[in-house]
Amino acid sequence: MTTTPSISGTELTHPQTQALLLKLTVLADDEIILAHRNGEWTGHAPILEEDIALANIAQDELGHAGLYLSLAQTLGGSDPDRVAFWRGPDDYRNTRLVELPKGDWAFTMVRQFLYDTAEALWLEAATRSTYAPLAEIAAKAVREEKFHVQHTALWVERLALGTPESERRTQAALTELWPYAAQLFQPVEGEAELTAAGILPDLNAVHARWTDLVTRHLVDKCGLTLPDAPTTQPGRDTHTEHLAPLLEEMQSVARQHPDAEVW
Amino acid sequence: MTQSQSPSSDTQWPRWEVFKQDAPGRPHQAVGSVHAGDPPHALLTARNVFVRRPAAVSLWCVREDDILTATPEELTTHPALLDTPGEPGTYHVGVKRTNKRSMTFVDLSGTVQASGSGDALRQAQSMHPDVLAWMVFPESAVVRTDEDPGTVESWFAPAKDKTYKQQQHYGVIGRHVGELKRAGLMSGRATSEEGA
Repeated sequence: MTTTPSISGTELTHPQTQALLLKLTVLADDEIILAHRNGEWTGHAPILEEDIALANIAQDELGHAGLYLSLAQTLGGSDPDRVAFWRGPDDYRNTRLVELPKGDWAFTMVRQFLYDTAEALWLEAATRSTYAPLAEIAAKAVREEKFHVQHTALWVERLALGTPESERRTQAALTELWPYAAQLFQPVEGEAELTAAGILPDLNAVHARWTDLVTRHLVDKCGLTLPDAPTTQPGRDTHTEHLAPLLEEMQSVARQHPDAEVW
Repeated sequence: MTQSQSPSSDTQWPRWEVFKQDAPGRPHQAVGSVHAGDPPHALLTARNVFVRRPAAVSLWCVREDDILTATPEELTTHPALLDTPGEPGTYHVGVKRTNKRSMTFVDLSGTVQASGSGDALRQAQSMHPDVLAWMVFPESAVVRTDEDPGTVESWFAPAKDKTYKQQQHYGVIGRHVGELKRAGLMSGRATSEEGA
């Protein structure tokens, strides 16, 4: 069986390499698309301080995408800029959760909370990966995610326990987003083998911890109601109508200047 | 002197002065302010606004209403500032020594036991007679980031990996202001804050 030597000396089989490449790509795709949605708030957030905060969060998420795609590149993946700016909606593998329009502040904060908690728990588990390069980037990224969680958890709590209007908007956001959030825990093809080898976290275990964590915050602390989540839903190759216009805008500069080297 | 606007004209959340500590053992320094609804929110926004990149190990936030500041000129024209009431207890003293610094304005120099804000200001004036401004606030008004390893790791450690370009990286359009001053082409007063 062919193997891909890694920078740490860990050897992956060919099927493992392909599955890991796919996993790193879907993780990066979620980060890129959510970062763009958050970037749409720049200049429009409720106050200057939150404008800066959300831009920080967006930059952190893009940084994580960079980590994932750089690791993917060592496994035979394409240049990260090519991956981000030259694939269309048919090739993106982000969840529908992150591509939905940014909505109001409650929608953005609830989505970010659901996402940050999932990412923080996944990354924490990934720091124990038997594949050292993944464990390293997880250790780096998880620190920022833990801070994001504090920020978004605070906002969700303030909004849910704020005025009748903020409570209504927060519940509406959760009702809409909750079914989409379950998709964060859909495994990619070949993921089971990577989990069995200790290379990737056990997604079901992360899902259980996430459900417990967000239920405690959203229901017990914030008094919100969780709707039912669908038991099955389409995979990451199915998108809403919102992804194509997002990519068109996000990729427009890169595509107009394909030879640009310095930004 | 710190003065809040009247509630009717100010729809902002309260303003909090932010103090950043660069390294253990170093004084906390005033770096600017944030608007926030409550203490935890103030700390979170302070972290986002002031320590995404620079080194830090601790942040304090103090509501502007709890801070008393004065310049020597203000004390001359408003000596009653020294009678400003407040709770007796421990007060932090900060001093501004120079205008020629960017990013920080006031260094906290220590604490005093005072009968109120005015008394703390009086002690600050006597301890540091030759400064541009004094600042005092009660210890009880300070909200702080936790010092546990988890907080330091998630709030402050990531900044160490982030790179940014120093101001001098960017070119100067036209001639540098210092050059113009040396050539006698600008009045000194207009450029006294130069170099920020």
